[in-house]
Amino acid sequence: MAETESYPPIDPTNFDLIVVGTGLPESIIAAAASTAGKTVLHLDPNPFYGSHYSSLTLQDLVSFLNSHSEIPKTNSLQSDDTTIVDVNTRPLYSDVEISSYDDSLEEHSRKFNLDLCGPRVLFCADLSVNLLLQSTANQYVEFKNIDASYVGDGNGNLMNVPDSKSAVFKDKTLEYSEKNQLNSFFKLVQGHLEAVKSVDVVIDAEKIISDDDLESPFVGFLDKMKLPPKIKSIILYAIAMVDYDQDAGESCKDILKTREGIDRLGLYHSSVGRFPNALGSLIYPIYGQGELPQAFCRRAAVKGCLYVLRMPVISILLNKDSGNYRGVKLVSGQELSSDKLVMDPSFTITSSKCLQNISKLARGICITKSSLKPDISNCLVIYPPRSLYPDQATSIRILQLGSNLAVCPSGMFVFYISVVCDDALEGKKSLHAAIDGLFSVHTDQTDSNELKPTLLWSALYIQDLIEGSVGPVVTTPTPDGNLNYNNLLDATSMLFKKLYPDDEFFPETSNTDSSDKLEDDSEVVLDS
Amino acid sequence: MGCSSSLPDRSPGRVGGLNPDNGGDSDAKNLRVKLVLLGDSGVGKSCIVLRFVRGQFDPTSKVTVGASFLSQTIALQDSTTVKFEIWDTAGQERYAALAPLYYRGAAVGVIVYDITNPDSFHKAQYWVKELQKHGSPDIVLALVGNKADLQEKREVSVQAGIEYAEKNGMFFIETSAKTADNINQLFEEIAKRLPRPSPS
Repeated sequence: MAETESYPPIDPTNFDLIVVGTGLPESIIAAAASTAGKTVLHLDPNPFYGSHYSSLTLQDLVSFLNSHSEIPKTNSLQSDDTTIVDVNTRPLYSDVEISSYDDSLEEHSRKFNLDLCGPRVLFCADLSVNLLLQSTANQYVEFKNIDASYVGDGNGNLMNVPDSKSAVFKDKTLEYSEKNQLNSFFKLVQGHLEAVKSVDVVIDAEKIISDDDLESPFVGFLDKMKLPPKIKSIILYAIAMVDYDQDAGESCKDILKTREGIDRLGLYHSSVGRFPNALGSLIYPIYGQGELPQAFCRRAAVKGCLYVLRMPVISILLNKDSGNYRGVKLVSGQELSSDKLVMDPSFTITSSKCLQNISKLARGICITKSSLKPDISNCLVIYPPRSLYPDQATSIRILQLGSNLAVCPSGMFVFYISVVCDDALEGKKSLHAAIDGLFSVHTDQTDSNELKPTLLWSALYIQDLIEGSVGPVVTTPTPDGNLNYNNLLDATSMLFKKLYPDDEFFPETSNTDSSDKLEDDSEVVLDS
Repeated sequence: MGCSSSLPDRSPGRVGGLNPDNGGDSDAKNLRVKLVLLGDSGVGKSCIVLRFVRGQFDPTSKVTVGASFLSQTIALQDSTTVKFEIWDTAGQERYAALAPLYYRGAAVGVIVYDITNPDSFHKAQYWVKELQKHGSPDIVLALVGNKADLQEKREVSVQAGIEYAEKNGMFFIETSAKTADNINQLFEEIAKRLPRPSPS
């Protein structure tokens, strides 16, 4: 349509808030601000929703990664009372490596919905699910279960994660004594969490874990409980989803405290039971993670937010004297004003500032025609630290998804891999180790009795980790290295509170039956 | 674009969208379908829905804000019922920014234009193409010429509507949300055309 080629003038020209980029944090802020009655304009330079949180076709994913790994230029102009600062695109991705072993995939490009920020899942009881329900954005997305979790080792074995009482009972790899140890540990955690929750009951000191223990490293607590290494590893890396090697002592960058460890176990366990028909604790949105920002954008639109895609912002207008933000200039030349501006982290006006010591994350996407386990479509695999090679410092997480989630053509599987790393070299080493452990490559003429899935296509890339910040403009965080959205949503609600300290972040509606409705919402019904 | 034409299967294991409305599921006698409205701003999409669902007409309603979707059940002569879950564009069509999420799983697409506005008829053809691109292959499409009460201002002929609809395998009707003319007929006709799940 001609109108989308030439840039349409936007009417009105003054807003309470302008948001640039439609990633999940920006979309949630747009929805929250619209719900609070602000006039909001939500822009995206891309022709699609989701920015760095989107799910893309094969072709679009490759071109997005490539276009966001180039180094741009900068300058700024002054006029009478306004400083015009150019908006630069900050390259978030580097070391992009695309390998294709099967040309026929290109034909199916449009049948893929590939997540840029994978692997990513929702825990049934986590903040993202609560926020979906509270904002009613849950009406627009459907989910399916992740069927199983495994812990992998260097020999190609995948061991089932016994994550609940019944799973422990059914497990065939654990010995009887190990089952007992694990069950009594789960019981201890459960008892502690229940005792802490029931404030008005006299706390039974027997049942709760002491403050000393809560403040000490979780790994030490697990030792104290005499849990064998195998079970310790499962709890730390496959249930509490810890990144760094907890046995590395003082060289470990991030030691998990018992308090946090117990909370993460609690989240996992309350997720298992939250929705009667959701087996396990993890769910994934049909059509990909990119549905979540779209759902919040629709929520925002329903509350009056104005949406314009394919509309780059080229500069920011600042007051010459105060340096305060005034408005934006669009690629069309139109100038718009607003009280506040939120931008996704790939846009920056402070390019001169040296960006040293940025944390990195290695991500990989792989496509195969077979599953890791014949009868399992969607599953999670964890390689704990040191499980694949001796100096593997962090755990590597892999999510396998099948076509029943509408993320790939039928008969294919998509794998997301991620690992936190100090630099690209280390990150790529981890990705390659996981890929070698999981897949065989076409060119391999080695042992033909190997049953590993054959790799058809892969994209490996390094992503910068940038946290949200508040300055003349608010910058939202990039996708983090976690499996769920909890930390990102915490950061997002903090940004909202800084933007609008007097407004509630998605208030519970005053509607009298809303509390009943929330109860109903929690009932998940199986679509047969 | 982050969208795909592949459809998820309906196998068990689907966590029903954390969705309160998923209870009354489709069977051969009682269908539940998602209907999406498309068309230029100001052609009367919301007015058609409000007339159908609530029997109201509000000439002052301007841009759709507030309603995420409305539902209405109709009973057909063969004693089956169809529950329409009607999605409005929420204004996201204004700068052509409708999300793929909007089209997901839609069984019906209703494309509306204003018979007094040739430009809106032209735009309707753009929306038909969008639906053919993003929608499921067996979607039922209806082309609706609204504001049929404004005969004296007509600029799009009935014939033009019929011809375009026939060429694209659509059902065509002219309506007036203001006088309620043909509004119920539109939804009844759609209901009749829906593919029925085979009784099991």
